[in-house]
Amino acid sequence: MGIDVANYHGWSGRQVSPWRACAAMVRVALLQVFRRKSYWIVLALGLINFFVAWSVIYAVTQFQLPRDAQRELLKAFGFDLNPASGAENGYIMFMQRQSLIVTILLAFSGSLLVGGDFRQGALPFYLSRRIDRRHYIVGKLLAIAAVISLLTVLPALVLYVEYGMFTSSVEYWTSQWRTVASILSFGAVQCVVLGIMLVTLSAYLQRTAPIAITWTSAFIMLRTMSGQLREATENDYWDLIDPWRTMRFVGRLCFGGDLEGSERELAWWSLAVLATACTAALILLVRRVRAVDVVE
Amino acid sequence: MCIVDIQNVERRYGSVHALRGVDLRLSPGTIGLVGNNGAGKSTLLKILLGLLRPDSGSGTILAEDIMSSGRNLRGRIGYMSESAATVPMLRGVEFVTLSGDLYGMPHRDARRRAHEVLNYVGLGELRYRRLEEYSTGNVQRLKLAAALVHDPELLLLDEPTNGLDPAGRAGMLRLIEDLIAETGKSVILCTHLLGDVERLCQQVVMLDRGRVVHQGTIRELRHSIRSRYALNWQSRNGHATSEHTDSEHTGNVHGDAGDAAARFLEALRNGGVETHGTTNWADQVVSVPADWRSARFFELAAEHGLVLTGLVPEEEDLERAFLRVTTEKAESETQAAAAGEGDRGN
Repeated sequence: MGIDVANYHGWSGRQVSPWRACAAMVRVALLQVFRRKSYWIVLALGLINFFVAWSVIYAVTQFQLPRDAQRELLKAFGFDLNPASGAENGYIMFMQRQSLIVTILLAFSGSLLVGGDFRQGALPFYLSRRIDRRHYIVGKLLAIAAVISLLTVLPALVLYVEYGMFTSSVEYWTSQWRTVASILSFGAVQCVVLGIMLVTLSAYLQRTAPIAITWTSAFIMLRTMSGQLREATENDYWDLIDPWRTMRFVGRLCFGGDLEGSERELAWWSLAVLATACTAALILLVRRVRAVDVVE
Repeated sequence: MCIVDIQNVERRYGSVHALRGVDLRLSPGTIGLVGNNGAGKSTLLKILLGLLRPDSGSGTILAEDIMSSGRNLRGRIGYMSESAATVPMLRGVEFVTLSGDLYGMPHRDARRRAHEVLNYVGLGELRYRRLEEYSTGNVQRLKLAAALVHDPELLLLDEPTNGLDPAGRAGMLRLIEDLIAETGKSVILCTHLLGDVERLCQQVVMLDRGRVVHQGTIRELRHSIRSRYALNWQSRNGHATSEHTDSEHTGNVHGDAGDAAARFLEALRNGGVETHGTTNWADQVVSVPADWRSARFFELAAEHGLVLTGLVPEEEDLERAFLRVTTEKAESETQAAAAGEGDRGN
């Protein structure tokens, strides 16, 4: 194969901001994820919960049941659509219930989206272009955030829209705007915390098995331990070692959930715990993604 | 205008002195960057890519200050790395498009250029294949396309023929050769394979233990080679002196012609000529001093009853030149260090 001179025309366009490269990284990350058949299976499992909720909302609203009966039925499926505040509602509960499948999906995505860059030498490819460490890290965080949102924020918003549509109630959307805010804020907290943790872990461990073991240990075992310790000692502060609960507290804190007394205090402690963990992880990540690794 | 003009660049990693007072002035063209492992090539590449700031020194790369440039500089350079450096699960055209996006091209332009450069490097028909299905040779071409996508002013190719079989290597070299000839781009080729440098480059930079031991055109390097000649002679009566030896293996010489050859070589040595080992007394490789006249060979041969039948200038290949230059540099440094010690002792 020689070169085809007729096809070389040069390029004289104007270069755009390097932050635009982050969008390209997200697009490529989603391509990578969706090209693995095993990911489709995990995504499908993750969306079962969504389809159940969707079907329940559909059935309940279409059967024209009285309002109270609707609420009771929805509650029976763990889906409370009559929140007093924007934070404690069925959509947030739905997102919380997705945590197990999100943990599993992220455990496998970490090695594909980040570990592979270190293991297979794609990091030099990225960092030798017109971006630097910041853009690379933000691009990868956004990519992880997109994967998380596919299972949490996006389905929750679809359910919110669905309920409003089936009850033909614009009033529902306008009166419950805080619900959207709380979905977005809880989603944002999840994306930031899980993204930073996963990217850092994957940058160090790189391979699927160690990442999956460490990740699931941290997010599933800590949750179990937290519950048992809280019950055994009757001390609510054990919630602070459960990443999902701390994220939920911070989500509520961010968007004005009704937090009172000890709950408010716990929420502030959760914010401190998450901020400390994320800062430590970011420092480790920046040290790992050193530009000097580019030329080996 | 120089593409690289840096002065007295130093870089340390802790106690390791990776670059020591590097001065480089490189004109546009094809430049070979060669050196042993640990010579400082990687550090120099990082500085050329704007990824690393020197500890001290000054200068410009593509007219950008080495102390302040970085991202802007990388936007003007196309870098093809030594490692596989590909993104799994992507197709060829998506990979090159991503490269364009990362170089700051608008996405639509990046996609259009990706198709163009893939055709250009001969991967047009393979553009929709997954990267996992590409052969090593095609991955190298793909990486070259990814480095070319934004039409850079300077291409930095790190071991472009690494891991290729002879046919693949020849193909890659031909591709780079054609690319240079057709686009006129400046290329810095970093490689251990001096044959590649010899074939592609007009200029060469030799690094050894953090110092530049030679920089200039390959022609200059060859001119700077201390002139070596292969001499061949016979006695005046028409016999090669080797015919008068008992054994070519031992090199014992008997008879007048043999004595004449020995005296001839002795005279050459007295005149400052360095003689090198040979298996045959009728021919000899010699290195002559700078002020030596070729006619002097004939005069000395005639004085000792011999007739020169061959006087062929010997050309040193780049590999030997590299070894010689680095060895000479190391020797001169050792002597300078010894002299310094002596001065301090006194």
